[in-house]
Amino acid sequence: MNPALQGLVTIFIGVGGCMAYFYVSNLILDKVIYPAKGPNISQNINRANLVRPWLFLLPVIILLTLYLVYPVVGSFVRSLYNRSGDEFIGLGNYSSLIGSSDFRVAFFNNALWALVVPALSTFLGLVIAQLTDRLSWGNIAKSIIFMPMAISFVGASLIWKFVYAPDPDIGLINAILTSFGMEAVDVLQIPFWNNLFLMVLLIWVQTGFAMVILSAALRGVPEETIEAAIIDGANPFQVFFKIQVPQIVATIIVVWTTITIGTLKIFDIVYAMTGGNFGTQILPSYMMQFMFRDDGRATAVAVLIMIIVSPVVISNVRQARKELR
Amino acid sequence: MFPKPIEKASPATQLSYKLFLPVALFIWLLPMLAIVMTSIRPAADINSGNVFGWPSDFQMIENYTAVFIQSEAWTYLKNSFWITVPTMIISVSLACLAGYALAIYKFRAALPLFFIFVAGNFVPYQILMVPVRDLSVKTGLYDTVTGLVLFHSAFQTGFCTLFMRNFIKALPFDLIESARIEGVGEFRIFWYVVLPLVRPAIAALAVLIFTFVWNDFFWATVLTQGEASKPITAGVRALNGQFVNNWHLVSAASLLAAVPPVAMFFLMQKHFIAGLTLGAVK
Repeated sequence: MNPALQGLVTIFIGVGGCMAYFYVSNLILDKVIYPAKGPNISQNINRANLVRPWLFLLPVIILLTLYLVYPVVGSFVRSLYNRSGDEFIGLGNYSSLIGSSDFRVAFFNNALWALVVPALSTFLGLVIAQLTDRLSWGNIAKSIIFMPMAISFVGASLIWKFVYAPDPDIGLINAILTSFGMEAVDVLQIPFWNNLFLMVLLIWVQTGFAMVILSAALRGVPEETIEAAIIDGANPFQVFFKIQVPQIVATIIVVWTTITIGTLKIFDIVYAMTGGNFGTQILPSYMMQFMFRDDGRATAVAVLIMIIVSPVVISNVRQARKELR
Repeated sequence: MFPKPIEKASPATQLSYKLFLPVALFIWLLPMLAIVMTSIRPAADINSGNVFGWPSDFQMIENYTAVFIQSEAWTYLKNSFWITVPTMIISVSLACLAGYALAIYKFRAALPLFFIFVAGNFVPYQILMVPVRDLSVKTGLYDTVTGLVLFHSAFQTGFCTLFMRNFIKALPFDLIESARIEGVGEFRIFWYVVLPLVRPAIAALAVLIFTFVWNDFFWATVLTQGEASKPITAGVRALNGQFVNNWHLVSAASLLAAVPPVAMFFLMQKHFIAGLTLGAVK
């Protein structure tokens, strides 16, 4: 079937079906099952109101069970079976992963990503938010910094291939190096440092996010506190680090954890730039190596990623809970 | 006024601001500028080493038509569109319903359900990969636009519901209460009272989901195989192989993939930023 037709049919069935389901189910509940008339009228209304939220939630719950809960459980179960999925091998996949040096490299690199990217993106975002806030053309500057956020990671990777290309006629970095009379190098093949060059891409994308959120937070800092500090003779650095930053720590943590979670599952950049070669493998791209070859190991890597992410997720849920009270 | 506008600062600070910031911004944009310039150069410029100077000739139209003629770019773009727009509509409308239920009704499961949504929002999608792929293969949805739409809708609905719930929770509850006292049916309350009030949230979500789904590469790689259903993000990587060493065509193709979300971003910047801020800080 033609994709346009497929799309239209899905919209029609999805939205039309949803609205129809919703209207009809409410109608049936109110008129047929618990009609708001007759001898039990108040009991009927109460019962109808107990059922109603589930009518609103049902489509979402079905979708999420099918595409979220079932896969999480399914992946865990699958990770306990062998390559072809017919033999139960317990934690065999995990032990062979932990024994492999490729896995350890990917794990180490991932830890590096999770430490460096959120820290630098948040720091840069904070500094840029503060600097551009005082500028008359600050909003234009912000739009420019923020724009990479709208581009896909693959798109960003292709763009940065022009920066890193080893051919000095194409690559910006090598053009600069050769114009200073230095040898052209393939920066993506320098051990260890190539990881940092790849991280630059993600920082380039995520700084905009950090900047937008933090600049909103900085505007929320009460002016009197800044005013008082300036009258007491604080210099701009002291005002920034001792007055403004402490008041937005909660937001900084939210931004930091959001970027951390994002960083832990990014695979596009490594996959598109180096394919995980030259010691740049990270867990999500390492997993893709097994995609069609060994589902047991692929799911084992996925479960490990999930375990690594879970402390951050739990802390976020706790945070959300605290805000509710 | 604090912070002081920069115009009132000392000349030295002003000078460093005026010099440093534009330079920093220029460097920030340099990768983008380089690719834009490359995409409008004739091939001869690149072969003769004129990659960073002024183009000897502007061949924007020639290069971009070449991309469309020599490749499947048009199919990829259409696929992306037909994946993104239905997903946007389905997940936002489902989220309106679910968000309404979670925010307005008081029932015991509301809070645990809400936390499941928060947690589900952060589940790394790698863990879904193998079962979702097997499920799609079994149901015949593998390598179809519909399969991608269904999956993306489900995955994004979690985030959208969270967002909607928080937005509706912040609305004045009296409005709904008084409508109820007037005897307005629940569906009509949702349709005539709540929906008009959540329009800003719908706009913000629509922009966010559009960019998220348009830019998705992971599921495009996992759930598609052929040209017929590949979206532009996965397609651009294929083009990259096809146009090897034709850097002007590679860059034109990459820019094509980036144009819709970037255009969306500039047109709806206010909603985009409002969405991100609401989504992150709540």
